[in-house]
Amino acid sequence: MLSDSRQCDPMIAYDTQILITGARGFIGKRVVARLLEYGFTKIRCLARPSSNKSGGEIFTASEFEDPRIEFIEGNLLSREDCFKISSDAQIIYHLAASRGEKSFPDAYQNSVITTRNLLDACVQHNCLKRFVNVSSFAVYTNQDKPKRGVLNEACPIEKHPAQRGAAYCYAKVKQEEMVIEYNKKHELPYVMIRPGVVYGPGNEQIHARVGIGTFGIFLHLGGSNEIPLTYVENCADAIVMAGIMRGIDGEVFNIVDDDLPSSRQFLRLYKQKVKRFRSIYVPHLLSYILCYFWEKYSTWSHGQLPNMYNRKVWHATWKKTEYSNEKLRERLGLMQRVPTDEGLNQYFESCREKIRHA
Amino acid sequence: MLKIAIVGCGKIADAHASEIQRIKNCRIVGVCDREVLMAKQLSERFPIDNYYTDLDLLLDKARPDVVHITTPPQSHFSIAKHCLERGCHVYVEKPFTLNTDEAMDLIKLAESRGLKLTVGHDDQFSHVARRLRKLVQDGYLGGPPLHMESYYCYEMSGAYAKAILGDKHFWIRQLPGQLLQNIISHGVARIAEYLQSESPEIFAHGFTSSYLRNLGENEIIDELRVIISENQQTTAYFTFSSQMRPALHQFRIYGSQNGLILDHDNQTLIRLRGRPFVSYAEKFIPPMIFAKQYISNLGRNIRLFLARDFHMKSGMKRLIESFYGSITDATPLPIQYREIILTARIMDSIFKQLRSSDGA
Repeated sequence: MLSDSRQCDPMIAYDTQILITGARGFIGKRVVARLLEYGFTKIRCLARPSSNKSGGEIFTASEFEDPRIEFIEGNLLSREDCFKISSDAQIIYHLAASRGEKSFPDAYQNSVITTRNLLDACVQHNCLKRFVNVSSFAVYTNQDKPKRGVLNEACPIEKHPAQRGAAYCYAKVKQEEMVIEYNKKHELPYVMIRPGVVYGPGNEQIHARVGIGTFGIFLHLGGSNEIPLTYVENCADAIVMAGIMRGIDGEVFNIVDDDLPSSRQFLRLYKQKVKRFRSIYVPHLLSYILCYFWEKYSTWSHGQLPNMYNRKVWHATWKKTEYSNEKLRERLGLMQRVPTDEGLNQYFESCREKIRHA
Repeated sequence: MLKIAIVGCGKIADAHASEIQRIKNCRIVGVCDREVLMAKQLSERFPIDNYYTDLDLLLDKARPDVVHITTPPQSHFSIAKHCLERGCHVYVEKPFTLNTDEAMDLIKLAESRGLKLTVGHDDQFSHVARRLRKLVQDGYLGGPPLHMESYYCYEMSGAYAKAILGDKHFWIRQLPGQLLQNIISHGVARIAEYLQSESPEIFAHGFTSSYLRNLGENEIIDELRVIISENQQTTAYFTFSSQMRPALHQFRIYGSQNGLILDHDNQTLIRLRGRPFVSYAEKFIPPMIFAKQYISNLGRNIRLFLARDFHMKSGMKRLIESFYGSITDATPLPIQYREIILTARIMDSIFKQLRSSDGA
């Protein structure tokens, strides 16, 4: 049964076959835990054989032995594996993705080809009730929106993602296009989920929206911008609900928490609670100018410096923007499970632990 | 205007497309991959007019003069052979083929058809590598090389390494020389360029590092030491390591008078003076000479950067340009066929010895 605080009438029976790709990942393992908590009894978990090989086991032994969970190692690049794992699956949570991949072909292969293979298998099985595609805020262009404008689900996505110079953005935009194409061609029902910055134990990096340490010293670029954080447990809640809630097919949901800290507040807390380090604040106008010149130099020099900082990146990452989770609250009826203060405390504790064991 | 095609649209194809687009008098007329989406994404991003999933269709419709083969090595031979038979010049990414026999067959076929072939040993065409070659040709060593040392390291980290380690069916594991076959040819080819004989003696020793063994990996050899000797005159050491730090990509070459050290990562070339200074001068003057050389290297690198000629893959651009020049202007091939065959032969011998020692 669903927990009291999140009563809803799921569109599927509790013994419906559910598939989760990327089940050993940062978010995936929490999605599995939440589905178990809600009472679902047939959860198939796909993880790549290489997942977290050097990072220790994510699941506890008891979870491995849980009869409600079926673990399958497989590769979404294999059509045979996709066909096998998706048989009988009525709900698919597609979380597998290539995070941090700098190569465009590799990111594309691990996001788009894999998604296509999985969708093809779903068409063949013809039993899918919903495909929950976990995408990202990275797909939004944020370019034509006025400063301080609210970024919500109606905002346009990047039309020329390759020009952003970010393989992840390119792959995620193309992945979304693929899901929509299959919906149009084969009427495969889907829900699109776009989390903001997912943070929590297991992902201890400071996000580029706060700043970058590429050049030896940390450049604080976010300033007074809100950081669109979502604590990983809250994100998992939203993803799970997007798979089981009735009447939301074809909808897009952004996932961000309430009470978002500014970049400056986040950095100050990080320095207080995790470790002190030197940072230089770069005002927004200056960061825009630097991105402009980097972009121009990259073009002029035929890519001697890769086009990784440019105006598109600036708009998407460092432009002053506000975020809304109104649709998430209204349509999914979600209340934030972990308050932002508590989430940040757990995140900082995890960062401290990581540094201690480094 | 040379018409170029790329077959295989993975990671390295991006580098080829970027460098080809920086070269004058050539145009990419089509790309091909068995996976239509991979072909499409490459054609979209660069942009290239046509993409194909069928090699014959590419050759029929786009009619390229030169085909760049950037597929996994298992298919290099068959695709290159087919392209040569269809009258195209061929640039094959490293490793050239899976073995020496395949390499020789391709070269024979190319020669019989009056076509050109080359292999993607682009590190040998970086700015420093070309300076080293010029110094050797000008006699700086004082004669033929007496000894060489080539270091080619590879850090087992990142998504690529994780994929190799995690996936027992990953294509690199299916190669006769596994990980080594896909990586070491750059370092081996540096030595092969300066060897004279066709069949030098080779002694190879390889093992799986304790780092990999601790991860439960016992099949992949990621530590390799090789001694190469020819005619009791020239010797070479080749070192491949996934664990030593710094992860060097260095080539050292010594003659009877002087030596040279090329550092690919830092793009520096250091001359080693063979004749010592007298007494305490040997303690003070050489460090000053080295300091001056490093400053000179720094200045050269800055000048190249400012002149927009210091791209990470500048060696690839130079190799491609030279190869295209050999086609259009009948200039010499950038990489001699004997060097391609000798590199393949050395690698064959290494893998054979590793297999036999594994079996023993």
